[in-house]
Formats: sequence, structure tokens, C-alpha cells
Amino acid sequence: MKKENIKWFIILHIIIVIISASSIIAKAAGKYPFLSFKWILLYGCVVAILGFYAIAWQQVIKHLPLIVAYANKAVTTIWGLVWGLMITHEQITLQKVIGAAIVIVGVYFVVSGDEDVSGKSEEKIEEVKNNA
Amino acid sequence: MLKYALVMLTGTFIASCSQIILKKAAEKEYPSKIAEYMNPMVIGAYFFFFGASLCSVLGYKVVPLSIGPILEATGYIWVAILGKIFLSEKISKKKALGLVIIIVGIIVAAMGA
Repeated sequence: MKKENIKWFIILHIIIVIISASSIIAKAAGKYPFLSFKWILLYGCVVAILGFYAIAWQQVIKHLPLIVAYANKAVTTIWGLVWGLMITHEQITLQKVIGAAIVIVGVYFVVSGDEDVSGKSEEKIEEVKNNA
Repeated sequence: MLKYALVMLTGTFIASCSQIILKKAAEKEYPSKIAEYMNPMVIGAYFFFFGASLCSVLGYKVVPLSIGPILEATGYIWVAILGKIFLSEKISKKKALGLVIIIVGIIVAAMGA
């Protein structure tokens, strides 16, 4: 892997961690009454992170193949388990771990099974990138 | 928890709809860069997206952090189905297998919730 690709791969995973962490804020918002000041503040943070994600994602897919980006995005399921364990002290059952792993495999099949993003046509990849 | 999980799944469906609308909007020709973003379809899509994030926040009131992202993986399924209906995108055998695998994963994880 080229040095430049490694850099964008790391950036991709930083973005994935950030978008995944937005679920912690969403969870925190749930503690407050709907439309209360704190609820609005936390929901605003979630929307701001989504906005950041939309911009950052566009940059990442300019430098990494779309299939790599989408397949790696599936690790949010693993981060969900980590946050659940660390933040809300949820019970991480074997079924949850296996389920998350199966979902990741499924996502890989979905993105690699999509002809438009599988590398069959560079022109189509550009088209998908532009439309994403 | 089922009620809140359904709210979250509805949000994922709405987000998938917004992606399809954005894709439809991207296929059109616009007279200017501003018009590419400031048109009813794109504004509508982001309005949907906003609604989807609201569903996610409401869902997380009860849905565990460890299950949320797994439920959100249903987005891949909705995008594939909606893409086939509205964009005439093909679902290859490998992709269809992947969608089935995702469903199996969600069921397995839900059993452990």
C-alpha cells in the first residue's frame, strides 16, 4: 500500500470513529426530555457531526476506492460494541459479536457485488464518486 | 425496545430514500453550481436526511449502543431495493447474497440483545 493510501486509510478510520461516536451523543440526548435545551444541543451536535462526515467522506472517496471506503465503514458495528461496553456498560453477548461480524461480511459482499463500484469501469467509478 | 428499534429502522429507511433522491438529483443537468444544490430534490433529500437523524436519536433513547449500528446496516438493503425500483440498478447474485447475510447478522445480533 502506498504511503499516500495509508494516510487516507487512517483518515477514513478516524472519520468512521467520529461518526460512530455520534451514537454516544444520540444516546446521551435520550436522557433529556424531547425538545428540551440539552436535547436540542445534543441533537445539534449529532447533525453537526453528520455534516462533517458528509464533507469528509467526499474527500476520502477521492483518494480511496469506493469499495474500500464502504467496506471499511461496516466496522461501525464493532465500534458500537466497544461504545456499548465502555460507555453504557452493556452486556456484549457472543451473539452480538457474531452478528456484527456477519453483518461486516454481508456488507463486503454487497459492496463488492456491485458492478458499478467493483472496478469494472473506471468511468462508472468516477460517476458514482461524483453522485455520492 | 421493539418500538424504539422500529423507529430507528424507519430512520434508516428514510435515510435510504434520501440517498436515492440525491442520486436522482445528481443525474439531472443544472444551469449552475448553485442550482445543483439549491433545487427541490436536493433540499427535500436533506430534509429527509434530517428526519432520519431525528429517528436515530429517538431510537437511541432505548436501543443499546451495541445494537444501533447493526440495525442501521439495513440501509444497505433498502438502498439496493430502492435502487432497483427507482434507478433500475441491478442486484447481482453476490450482492443479493450479501443482503441475505446482513439480515442473518442482524437476526443473530438481535437474539443476543
